[in-house]
Amino acid sequence: MKVGFKKSHIRLGVVAVALAAVGVLVATNVATARTGSGCGTVTLNEQAWAGSTANTYVAKYVLEKSLGCKVKITQIAEIPVYEALAHAKVDAVLEDWQHVDQYKQYATKQKSVVIEGSNGVHGHIFWGIPDYLMKQYPQFKTWKGLKGKESIFKSPESGSQGMFLGGDPSYVQKDAQLIQALGLNFKFVSVGAESAQTARWTQLVKQKKPVLFYWYTPQYLNAQYHIVEVQLPKPFKGCKDDAKAGGAVAQYKCAYSTYPLEKVFGSKFAKSGSPAVAFLKKFSWTNDQQNTVATWIAGQHMKPDSAAEKWVKANQAQVNKWLGK
Amino acid sequence: MTTVDEVVGAVPAPVVIDHRPWWRSRAVLSALVVVGMLVGYYAAKGKYTWPAALEWNSLTGHLDSFQIWLSDQSNAAHPNLFFRVVTGISSGLDTLVTWIYDALTKLTWVGTSFVATLFAWRFGGRRAAVFMFTGLATFAAFGLWDDSMQTLSLVLAAVGLSLAVGLPLGIIAGRSERFDRAITPVLDAMQIIPAFAYLMPVVILFSVGPGAAVITTMIYSVPPAVRIASLGIRGVPANTVEAAQALGSTGRQLLLKVQLPLSRRMLLLAVNQTILFALSMVVIAGLIGGSGLGDPVTNGLNTNPAVAILAGAAIVAMAIMLDRVTEAIAERTDPTRRHLDDAGRRRLRVTTAGVVVACLVAVGVGIAAHAGDIYTRFTIQDWLLARIQSVLNYIANPSTFLFQHITNPLGNFLTQHVLLPLDTFLAETPWFVTVAGFVLIAFIVSGLRPALVTAAMLALTGFVGEWQPAMDTASQVLVATAIAVLLGIVLGVWAAESDRVSQILRPINDILQTLPQLVYVIPFVYLFPISYVPGLIASVLYAFPVVVRLVERGVRDVAPQSVEAAGAFGATRRQVLLKVKIPLARDAIMLGVNQGIIMVLAVVVIAGLASTPGLGYEVVQGLQRNEFGLGVVASIAILALGIALDRVTRGTQGNRRAREDVS
Repeated sequence: MKVGFKKSHIRLGVVAVALAAVGVLVATNVATARTGSGCGTVTLNEQAWAGSTANTYVAKYVLEKSLGCKVKITQIAEIPVYEALAHAKVDAVLEDWQHVDQYKQYATKQKSVVIEGSNGVHGHIFWGIPDYLMKQYPQFKTWKGLKGKESIFKSPESGSQGMFLGGDPSYVQKDAQLIQALGLNFKFVSVGAESAQTARWTQLVKQKKPVLFYWYTPQYLNAQYHIVEVQLPKPFKGCKDDAKAGGAVAQYKCAYSTYPLEKVFGSKFAKSGSPAVAFLKKFSWTNDQQNTVATWIAGQHMKPDSAAEKWVKANQAQVNKWLGK
Repeated sequence: MTTVDEVVGAVPAPVVIDHRPWWRSRAVLSALVVVGMLVGYYAAKGKYTWPAALEWNSLTGHLDSFQIWLSDQSNAAHPNLFFRVVTGISSGLDTLVTWIYDALTKLTWVGTSFVATLFAWRFGGRRAAVFMFTGLATFAAFGLWDDSMQTLSLVLAAVGLSLAVGLPLGIIAGRSERFDRAITPVLDAMQIIPAFAYLMPVVILFSVGPGAAVITTMIYSVPPAVRIASLGIRGVPANTVEAAQALGSTGRQLLLKVQLPLSRRMLLLAVNQTILFALSMVVIAGLIGGSGLGDPVTNGLNTNPAVAILAGAAIVAMAIMLDRVTEAIAERTDPTRRHLDDAGRRRLRVTTAGVVVACLVAVGVGIAAHAGDIYTRFTIQDWLLARIQSVLNYIANPSTFLFQHITNPLGNFLTQHVLLPLDTFLAETPWFVTVAGFVLIAFIVSGLRPALVTAAMLALTGFVGEWQPAMDTASQVLVATAIAVLLGIVLGVWAAESDRVSQILRPINDILQTLPQLVYVIPFVYLFPISYVPGLIASVLYAFPVVVRLVERGVRDVAPQSVEAAGAFGATRRQVLLKVKIPLARDAIMLGVNQGIIMVLAVVVIAGLASTPGLGYEVVQGLQRNEFGLGVVASIAILALGIALDRVTRGTQGNRRAREDVS
């Protein structure tokens, strides 16, 4: 046993020498590492939907090619990213879907993030049905036409009621409240993440079956599937969109309003005076433009960097405007 | 991933099976309780849901304000000392991970591959070297070298720290009964509470980035290190310890010269399991800036699912690589198995020197030839993505035979005839009847104390206002466990009888336990387009390998004398199996049921992401909609439900003592 221990000491010594040698190599290599350019590193956060990927990579392309910045892309979830912005670990989020609570907490109270205004894209949430169903039942143009016809939306888990396919739990929604306020005989079925919801309704659409679901624009799938809107009661003053706010169901009895999607910067970045800030402040495009790039990425599986390059090259005039040229 | 219980070995079959009259057997008595619950259900359907008077509704509000307060403190212009210390820790961890990543990249990919492969060869032998090389080659071929190196550095840092914390705690727990009892519930909570629930506080305290990712990973990977190390120390035969004490060993000598060397294999197993547990957190760590392979998984799900699957496969490759290499190193360096003579030692020294020189040469060549920090040359990524996409297209096509005649009808059947009735039954039976039923079954199966714990835990789920979703979740967990156990027993018995089946099952088990469920749960939505079912199948796939392993171990461990005796009396192979082996392995099978439930519960949150209502969905919502309180409360309910179901199925005190004796 004793001898064995000694031997293992020798062996350890050899390993230690090897490690030391490697360490020296690493150290010399680190010392010669390249230094960054004038703009420095900008960290953008990409959210988990295709439109956000489109914004982020187009901005990245312009930042790198025209301003010489180094761009780092993180993929932090929607709510934790506010802490990341506050801690200056992330510089900017280019598309935020109205997280009003966070605006209050981080922008107004803590002043650790800055809401920089819209990225030009407008988000709209609605109740969608496939166009073939609308042709078959023109009465579904408004919610009133759904009354009494709920059972055609039956599914295995909804029993005798019709199924209303709810949206991703992370999105703003009030559908359970709406169903109750409108007195419709639907069972609200939550299906989890957006990819799960998409899988569910596309499967039904491919079979030309009836389906009624939470949907929104801009969304790249709208180019592939023809989803039409069921009109809900007109918005009135004080009508709420986010069930999180609580209160009586009558307060939710209206269509979702249309939101401008916001750009959010970390305060430190916003004050940094970097040329990247001026550019990102001006960055703004339309729903159609974003959809085009999103479709290239998510619909045709183009690499995000190549999709961004393709779009920027075709829209140089607009990019120049962003750059203040 | 293996569980602690499996590691210890299955329960030894009792020498004498107790012979109770059939009408007093546990199964019959439990069935009677269920009949009683059914009577309650039909008598008062939906009349007595959990009363609001017994709910503490303001808890979520308090938790929400706590989170806001924490964030305000942490982002204040001059944070107090506590937050500065915490920030220091997180930037220290950031630096550690970055340093490892820099080392892996600055050696160039050529250097890194050579150093890793030669290291595996020197300490683990040829097989280990082959696994290491194949793993690295996979990352390169997939075109995911950089992501893999990021994940590897994160995992190495998290594992190193988990062991630094976990092994000492485990050794203390192994030597002190009281400490063990105190720490066990904490470890249970760390493993069952879903990471989604504490992601936000972790981010507020430690910000985002590799540091926060390491902390989150450690919360999950420290418990196996503690548990297995403690079991290892306890596993040292009592008479050896007594002999050492009789010879006058001090406590320190006893630990260093007896307990640690003799529990060497278990300690190395702790290392191995800690690695696998850490790897299973890669996707979650990606959500808070952990980078690496978690990012393509999460983002791919929305933009390109094939990429998510490819990255999932890379995680599996890394798990198998690290598992086999650590296993081989543990075997090869075992002093009790290795007897080297002087010539052998000399040879080994020469080899070591050769390895060191070869490593230096490889690194030198890599740098001199500008091989690059990361591998970016030829990959088969596009080819693989196209193949995966064609499989996905087949799966997403509702006109295939598979969908029309197999998966869709199966999903409908499961939902309409199994899940929904059970859910309705649990939800609409008067709550006191449900509680009484579970408690009685716990009493019959496990004894008085477990029954009391079950009662307290079920009351807790109601008290925090989660009775309804808890019953949704309970029905899914029960169905998933039933399927997993059935599948696990059949395959486990088969594997115990046939070495070939066992060999085929091992890699399948490894894949199912390390592949992130998020990767395959969405394709299942296409095949089974009904809420409940995809989540259910994901839980079954994650849980049944554990049951297979436990049952296989149990049946294989049946004392050979019993089998020989039966053979001598002329029993056929079938009779031996059905009348001797399976009854004698009953406790191992029971343990399989118990572990199956725990594994199913571990997938509840992922199931919530893929369309399954219940507690998991609420936990997801808690993180994604900033309803911290809701997420925590739902997690408490998951924990309580987990403990309750564990106690219901744990078995009697006698069984438990038998299990502890083995360890």
